Amino acid sequence: MEYALHILMMVCIYVALGASLNLVAGYAGSPSLAHAAFYGLGAYVAGLMSLRLGSPFMLNLLCAVGFSAVLGAIVRALTMRIRGDHFIVVTLAFQVVVFSILYNWVSFTGGPMGLSAIPEPTVFGWLVSSHADFLLLGLVYCVLTLWVCRRIANSPFGRVLKAIREDEVLASAAGKDVAMHHVLIFMISAGIAAGAGVLFAHYMCFVDATSFTEMESIFIISIVIIGGGGSSWGPVVGALVLVGLPELFRFLGMPTSVAANVRQMLYGGLLIVFMLWRPQGLLGEYAFGGTRDSR
Amino acid sequence: MVPESCPVPTLPGVVGERMQQIVVNGIVAAAVYVVAGFGFGLIYRTATFFHIAQAAIIAVGAYGTYWLCVGIGFPLPVAVLLSVVFSAIVGACADQAIFRPLRRRGASPLVLLLASLGLYVVLTNLLSMAFGDSIKTIAWGRVEEGWRVFGARITTVQAMTIAIIALLAVLSAIAFRSTKIGITLRAVADDPELAGISGIEVDRVVLVASAVGSGLSGLAGILLALDLGMTPMMGLNVLLMGVVAFIIGGGLKDMTGLVAGGLFLGLSQHLAGWLIGPQWQYAMAFVVLIVLLLLRPKGMWLSQSHGSLA
Repeated sequence: MEYALHILMMVCIYVALGASLNLVAGYAGSPSLAHAAFYGLGAYVAGLMSLRLGSPFMLNLLCAVGFSAVLGAIVRALTMRIRGDHFIVVTLAFQVVVFSILYNWVSFTGGPMGLSAIPEPTVFGWLVSSHADFLLLGLVYCVLTLWVCRRIANSPFGRVLKAIREDEVLASAAGKDVAMHHVLIFMISAGIAAGAGVLFAHYMCFVDATSFTEMESIFIISIVIIGGGGSSWGPVVGALVLVGLPELFRFLGMPTSVAANVRQMLYGGLLIVFMLWRPQGLLGEYAFGGTRDSR
Repeated sequence: MVPESCPVPTLPGVVGERMQQIVVNGIVAAAVYVVAGFGFGLIYRTATFFHIAQAAIIAVGAYGTYWLCVGIGFPLPVAVLLSVVFSAIVGACADQAIFRPLRRRGASPLVLLLASLGLYVVLTNLLSMAFGDSIKTIAWGRVEEGWRVFGARITTVQAMTIAIIALLAVLSAIAFRSTKIGITLRAVADDPELAGISGIEVDRVVLVASAVGSGLSGLAGILLALDLGMTPMMGLNVLLMGVVAFIIGGGLKDMTGLVAGGLFLGLSQHLAGWLIGPQWQYAMAFVVLIVLLLLRPKGMWLSQSHGSLA
């Protein structure tokens, strides 16, 4: 039972991560490979604050979200001139730098040992301790994220994002501030990812840098792509498929020693298959520049 | 590694010697980056997308050599040669199975990049399943302390690495100038559409570039693995270093730019490693990559003059 609750909790976290990355990749049309970095920074800010300062959960959450959002805004503003596939490369480089800092700054982040014994959170006087409690907290965060993302997508702001995705020159000719839209949506996206990281840190009671590698970033972008870029339900489907399917394999008797590899090969393979035959994903409307057939 | 905390060298002249060692290590690292950057650039310029899966092919070359040499017992030179060929075949097959169909459908560079990302994940995990994640080394010959050159130590592998790069630079310069395939490669790199109209079979040229580029990536992985060992994830750092060298060098013209870029990167990386600690070497190089792309957002290689593979 606890196992099922754990899987559901991970689904919630990945839905939030996927939905927030979808804002940038699916709606604004500039995929990033730095999402695990913002997720990880959120987890580390929360872990460090609660261990070093003993600060309450809600304050940690606020600081982590704020920190990642500001950093995200700075990164996006600096890289505004970099277009298309080069932007992905820069985000990948940023991802590797953040991982390297989390992993190598031993005196501050604990390095390879990570941070352990992160306390259980208290939310407005409610001590979250059992798996069911955490799942409830995760569900609240996940639903809140989906609601926010949907609101953004359907707002005038979201429509401008889609216009920028389809034709940046046209959008700026119509008087839309392209750079401001890109920076703002990247900031929101990074902030939501950090929130998911805070949940993860308090839920696992332990964080270490190897949870936030470039492979994790590729996993999150796979959720967005396979679910469908630019679809508000896409990340939910993507997360259910990519988190759920490997667990199904486990029931079919796959040895645990290869489970991690099979999980990664599954999303790597799906990424190729979807790019070949369905770049817009299961539910999506944006095909990442797509192919001649899908345009 | 702060110099004061090192217990051994207190003799006079040691700092000078250490500087020489940094230079030698930097040159060896540069050689590997140049090979990786050249392989990457060949594909980038002809197929016009960022082929991240080359990172996995770097590891494929290394593990191919490991398997042939340690697993089966082939002599090292044979194992190296076969692994380079095998890497080339893997690259060519990937092009035929994944990237050519995508090109036929007019896929955007972003779609090609994402497909390549998927391939990277699959290949890396295949290696990890087959060989495990721990560091593997190819022990060959007896352990040597290396030759002394200008007060620095250099091992046979390192010397061979540098020799191979020099040979490669000469060969590629000749190939690009005076062989038919070299000239068609330049034509496709310059303008694929025009090359197609002139009767060049672009798909075949891209296939050749993918095979040669993947072979070079494999070679870069082998050279690094012989020197420092290998893990399935080794390729990404090497590839991105190669890309940085490629950007600094401004393309593939006659490899002088690339070699200069590689040397700058290798030397500054090892100097930084000595000054602030070796664990920060890669982070430093990525900061360089980010800064470079900020300064030249379209990439340096695209703003170069036409008419050559620059």
